Amino acid sequence: MNILTIPLRNTWRKPTRTLLLLLVFTLGVMAIVALYQVSLVIGDGMEKKLSTYGANILISPGQEKLSVSYGGLHLGDMLYELQPLSEEKTVAAVRSIELKNRISAVAPKLVTMATVNGTPVAVVGVRWEEELLIKSYWATDGAYPEEQNEIVIGRTAALNLGLAQGDTVRLFEQPFRVSAVLLPTGGDDDNVILVDLGRLQAITGQPDGVSFLEVAALCSGCPIDDIVTQIRAGLPGMDIKALSNVVSQRMASIHFVQRLVLSISLVILVTAATMVGLSMLSAVNERKKDIGLLRSLGYSKGRVFFIFCLEAGIIGVLSGILGYFSGFGASFKTLSLLAMAEGARPVFEPGHLLLTCGIIGLVTIIAAAYPAWKGASIEPSQALLAL
Amino acid sequence: MLKAVNITKVFKNEGTEVQVLSKISLEIPQGEFLALVGRSGSGKSTLLNVLSTLVRPDGGELLYNGNKVTAMPDKKLNQLRHADFSVIFQFHHLVPYLTALENTLLPFMRSIKPASREMVDKAKQCLERVGLAGKENRLPGSLSGGEQQRVAIARALVKSSRILFADEPTGSLDKATGESIMHLLGELNRDGMTVIMVTHDPEYAQLADRSIHMEDGRLVS
Repeated sequence: MNILTIPLRNTWRKPTRTLLLLLVFTLGVMAIVALYQVSLVIGDGMEKKLSTYGANILISPGQEKLSVSYGGLHLGDMLYELQPLSEEKTVAAVRSIELKNRISAVAPKLVTMATVNGTPVAVVGVRWEEELLIKSYWATDGAYPEEQNEIVIGRTAALNLGLAQGDTVRLFEQPFRVSAVLLPTGGDDDNVILVDLGRLQAITGQPDGVSFLEVAALCSGCPIDDIVTQIRAGLPGMDIKALSNVVSQRMASIHFVQRLVLSISLVILVTAATMVGLSMLSAVNERKKDIGLLRSLGYSKGRVFFIFCLEAGIIGVLSGILGYFSGFGASFKTLSLLAMAEGARPVFEPGHLLLTCGIIGLVTIIAAAYPAWKGASIEPSQALLAL
Repeated sequence: MLKAVNITKVFKNEGTEVQVLSKISLEIPQGEFLALVGRSGSGKSTLLNVLSTLVRPDGGELLYNGNKVTAMPDKKLNQLRHADFSVIFQFHHLVPYLTALENTLLPFMRSIKPASREMVDKAKQCLERVGLAGKENRLPGSLSGGEQQRVAIARALVKSSRILFADEPTGSLDKATGESIMHLLGELNRDGMTVIMVTHDPEYAQLADRSIHMEDGRLVS
């Protein structure tokens, strides 16, 4: 029997009211926890999906540029000492950085020029598996190549060259079959012929050579700058650029989801806290007699304040525990209903449970602080008028 | 010894001031059984509340063993209410969600530190003394009015209070129960506890060592 006996007993004095309050707050916590877990999983999934809409890091050979003009005539910028990259070494370097688990795709490319029926056209060698990871938005008339002598051709290039799906075309004096025509993308891909990278490297006599690499990195857990710095450390002398607008657009989408969850959580929390505050306010009014009695027995204002805050805190911590587990369970159901988990699952972390209980307990205590102080400030004489 | 000097108290109600106590002076020696009698509205309950420190007077001084109670900070007042003074009310107010034993021990449940084994045993003895043996774990709702008043008296006993303030302790009880409560108060007084009781029943007032009559906020005899 100590001071805790009073709030503990009072909590169960009116079980219906306590259970309703507990239910309201538990539902609030449940909604917040479920939203948080769902947002984590969806955010992760969304980022993976977004990364398929293009790369966010570009790796190209280091370039020395010389601006040439003579006799007042500007001849433009000239690149010199431009060396092709080694595909094996570059890919290995990218895949071995500290944040390698944040790299979702590394797509090397070899760009060269060719002539088809007397018309010049750009030919790009790609690794199909990696390329399709970052170009999931491509749509084709036909199927992607399965053989090394199959190519995909951009819509504009196909029109210029008069080619269609299933045609055979001579490229570098070798026959290739057009396995698919890209539907318009609105980008550079419309104007090029896409060939298997290994085949192009062999034809052009550049085994292992690539012109540049596109990298798709997942950035919700780390800044893109960190990834770029680590790649740069592994590939000295190379030109590594973060496509910041792509990153920022991608992060904006993730942050939007996170901000939405935070806003909804805050509204729920404030609503639930208001309920606790109102409930405590009515409890103070109902229990003026008890306050008067406690004060007549020498309980200080601080002790009366403590009793009321503790009552709210008990509701808060209990709601935190119940709400966390029910919210955690609800997140599985929500994810399955939304079909957006992409195989990911919410992860239980004891630290999160403790943090939730602590925060919710604190919120309820803060919500109860004013009514508790109001109750504690009642003079015994005022409280005794109720007797 | 409790001493009141020129105590005044004014209540304000919707802009109107009502003088409830007018320059009351009295001395109550340790061990006295004092009855405050008077008609309803005479100011006897207010005087009891002022003497028990539950109401601060607007004027005058209250001294307990020579110390100015009216000038005491809250902390010392709380200590005084905790250690030396006990109050029982007409409607034998108990905390409804605590058992008889817990209500008796309420003064010792002010901190995280649990009430000691000795204190729990003493509380049980006090409940036994007031005739509530075996009812320690009953909630107030399941006790009669007289039994609830006995719990309040047991609470004063367990504290070893020096002064017991009783505001119409028999007011809501039947005659037989009222008499048994008066008998108990007399017993406590004979054991050395000062009892200051408000009553409007002349029969019970006769049991006190001294009776003070009040009218319109003044002592008349």
